[in-house]
Amino acid sequence: METALLNADLLRRLEQLQLAARRWAKSSLRGERRSRARGHSIEFADYRSYVAGDDFRRLDWSLYGRLDRLFLRLYEEERELPVTIFLDASESMAFGEPSKFLFARQIAAAVCYVALCGSDRAAVRVFPERSENRSLKLPLRSARGRQSSLRLLESLSALSAGGLSDFNEDLKRGALEAVHGGTAVVLSDFLCHTGYEAGIKALMSRGCQVMAVQVLSSEEIHPSSFGDLKFVDAETGAAQEVTFGKYRLSRYQAAANAYIERLAGFCRRRGVGFWSVSSASSLEDLLLKQLREGEFWR
Amino acid sequence: MSFLSFSAFWFALTIPVVVLFYLLKRKRKLRLVSSTVLWQRFLAESRANAPFQKLRRNLLLFLQILLLLLAVLALARPYLADQLAGGALQVLVMDASASMQSVDAAPSRFEAARKAALELVNGLKDSDQMVIVAAGARTAVVQSPTSEKAVLRRVLRSMEVSDAPTRLLEGLRLAETLVKDHPSSEIHLLSDGAVSDLGEFEETDLNLNYHRIGRAGNNVGLVSMDVRPNPEDASTRAVFANAVNYSTNDFRFAAELRLDGRMMEARMVEMQGGSSVSLAFIAHQTKDGVFSLKLGVEDDLAVDNEAHVVSLLPKPAEALLYSSGNAFLEKALLATETIHLQTTDDPSANAANHDIVIVDNLRPLEWPKGNVMAVNIAPTNWFAEWERIQSPAVVDWKSGHPLLRFVSFDDVEIAEAFSVSSPFWGESLVESSQSPLLIAGELGGRRRLWIGFDTLRSTWPLRVSFPMFMANAVQWLNPSASSGQELTARTGDSIRVGFAAPGDSILVRRPDGKSESLPWSSSMQSFVYGNTAAQGIYTVTAGTNRVQFAANLMDAAESDSMPRAALTLAHGRQVEATVSSRADLEIWRWIAALALAVLMFEWWYYHKRTA
Repeated sequence: METALLNADLLRRLEQLQLAARRWAKSSLRGERRSRARGHSIEFADYRSYVAGDDFRRLDWSLYGRLDRLFLRLYEEERELPVTIFLDASESMAFGEPSKFLFARQIAAAVCYVALCGSDRAAVRVFPERSENRSLKLPLRSARGRQSSLRLLESLSALSAGGLSDFNEDLKRGALEAVHGGTAVVLSDFLCHTGYEAGIKALMSRGCQVMAVQVLSSEEIHPSSFGDLKFVDAETGAAQEVTFGKYRLSRYQAAANAYIERLAGFCRRRGVGFWSVSSASSLEDLLLKQLREGEFWR
Repeated sequence: MSFLSFSAFWFALTIPVVVLFYLLKRKRKLRLVSSTVLWQRFLAESRANAPFQKLRRNLLLFLQILLLLLAVLALARPYLADQLAGGALQVLVMDASASMQSVDAAPSRFEAARKAALELVNGLKDSDQMVIVAAGARTAVVQSPTSEKAVLRRVLRSMEVSDAPTRLLEGLRLAETLVKDHPSSEIHLLSDGAVSDLGEFEETDLNLNYHRIGRAGNNVGLVSMDVRPNPEDASTRAVFANAVNYSTNDFRFAAELRLDGRMMEARMVEMQGGSSVSLAFIAHQTKDGVFSLKLGVEDDLAVDNEAHVVSLLPKPAEALLYSSGNAFLEKALLATETIHLQTTDDPSANAANHDIVIVDNLRPLEWPKGNVMAVNIAPTNWFAEWERIQSPAVVDWKSGHPLLRFVSFDDVEIAEAFSVSSPFWGESLVESSQSPLLIAGELGGRRRLWIGFDTLRSTWPLRVSFPMFMANAVQWLNPSASSGQELTARTGDSIRVGFAAPGDSILVRRPDGKSESLPWSSSMQSFVYGNTAAQGIYTVTAGTNRVQFAANLMDAAESDSMPRAALTLAHGRQVEATVSSRADLEIWRWIAALALAVLMFEWWYYHKRTA
């Protein structure tokens, strides 16, 4: 199998990975994840006293024989781990060579593929909502099982970026829909005038295990335009006049790094996994090395 | 600090223009970026980190304003007044001599000197005064002490160079007198130093600044010219001239001799560097005229390539000899062939119609009015007292005098002579140990020649020098022969011209074509003309009467026009050419250099922040 976003070799290697859940699965649907819910798996979990109405089949008769009291055998119920990917498709993601949006979709595709291979539910929420992406909303909404991965990945590759995003609002709205918690993967450049803290906090408040991957273009890290410049924000249209020379390059990079470091610190303090990558960097390195080392999956 | 040109401050009006340009939005390159978040963060951090942020933002503006201020300041030409508290007198001596016409400092040395002088005027402090002395054909104060720069400039612009030799000695003496009573004074001499007479200048402790004008002395000049009767052929004239090449270059040129504008002869002359050449021409002359010699040489100084000599044909003079018999004298006089000699032994003979009268041992009853040679007579109106001396030995004679040309008194012995003291009217040419023996002089326009011994009682008539002396004497005493000499003057010198005409005015036409009318009275026999600054031929007319005279430079010191690095004054004192010509220290150069540095820093800074 090969898709527009991921090649066959990478897909084959991704199949061997499994998402590392750091939370109990809360999904109501059965899956392969350990959950807090007690259910019908073969994995013994605990005993508890019988109360009226309990299933007689789960009474431990041998214990009743010894202790003359009724105990119920509890088994762990394995449930699915829903993985929700919050994919930033705002105008700013369309920049970069290769574009940040392509890179973000590749990550999304990989995460989805790993999740689906692990019998987990995968959903991709694209924000901001655009009319161009509406027809793809349904296939992205929820997918389960490996067989649906092809459709999901194709839908992902058909997405386009554009429009103005309000990161916090979009994430809050997405958090409301994430009833079952699970893993939330945020793919964005995190370059928002209104900040990003509220959105991530909203996801966490829903009990999600949040992973953040920041995708930046190389131009954003190493600007190559010098002189008397007037930068126009692609999303807001706001202009910023800058007189820039090579001698200020290091200072700019320091400022950019400080921004990334602040984001990383914010994530670290809240137990949010964070990776910052350039759209020009190696996808394999990120997927097979960095995310593995960061115990995003194993 | 004061300013030489206040009007330059008008340029300060450009400063608001710069500010205006700065206020106008700079055209920036538009760049569409994904987000300006990082840029805003970068700007916020640079502002927070950098001190004097506001200043830094407008540093270019401040630099430009600073640059403009410096430029305006430099244009205003500020200067620092020196230690002298003003009130100083500056004497500007402008050399307006012929050598200043040299074109080695284009357009000419005089123009260069004028420019330098104008700069000195510009550098004059308000409290200073300046005098301008022109040392040209005449030395004159052309501007009395004044602080008015406009007046000084006007005077300088109206000054003209002359064809005359330098009168620097007079100029410096005049300057010396002018600064005598001033405690702080400076003499600025603007000259090429081509001058010969400064060796007599006793500089005490004058503040003399010699501003050397000119660079090279690439010049060939005529230093002498003379016209004489050809000794071999009485019908022709011999023209002698001397040209000197004062440069190190070799020259090849044509020398043209003209008589009244008619070409007589032309010949090619080759001169090596530093050499001199004597030119001799033989020319037929049938009437009075002016010989002009012109060297067709391309050199720096044109005025000395030409000379004019008025040549009058000799008129046989009427001579009367009062003598009781002197065959030697008679024979010697007749041998000259330029006089009609009458001899008489009658003291009452009338000499009124004779040009030359020779009185030999016989006193005429009426003393003659013309040019007189008196031999062995002591006239009472010539000498106050006398006595007789025996066997005077000739100890000295002036061989440079025209009368003693080729004449020697080596083996002349004299038996008896008059002993007189040197009279005011004449010069002693031959002397014994006790008394002058031969005196020549002039009084009241008449020439007198006195021989104080009896030639017959001496060995002189037996010597070859005797007829030679008589030939010289006849030529010297002949009014028409001598007048040719008188009709040639040096430029700048006054000339006395014998002239007879009726009417009450005469017209002098100068070489430049301009005419000048002079008052005249019919009783006058001659006049003195002084306006001979221009070289060339001057023509005097009154009715049909006409006389010409010439003014020539012919000055070796002027022709040697190489600018001197130092002037040599009396006692070998040297005045080096001044290098710093500023009276005040102008500092605009430093300010301009600073402005340049600011400009370069601004350029660097501009490129640093945008490259």
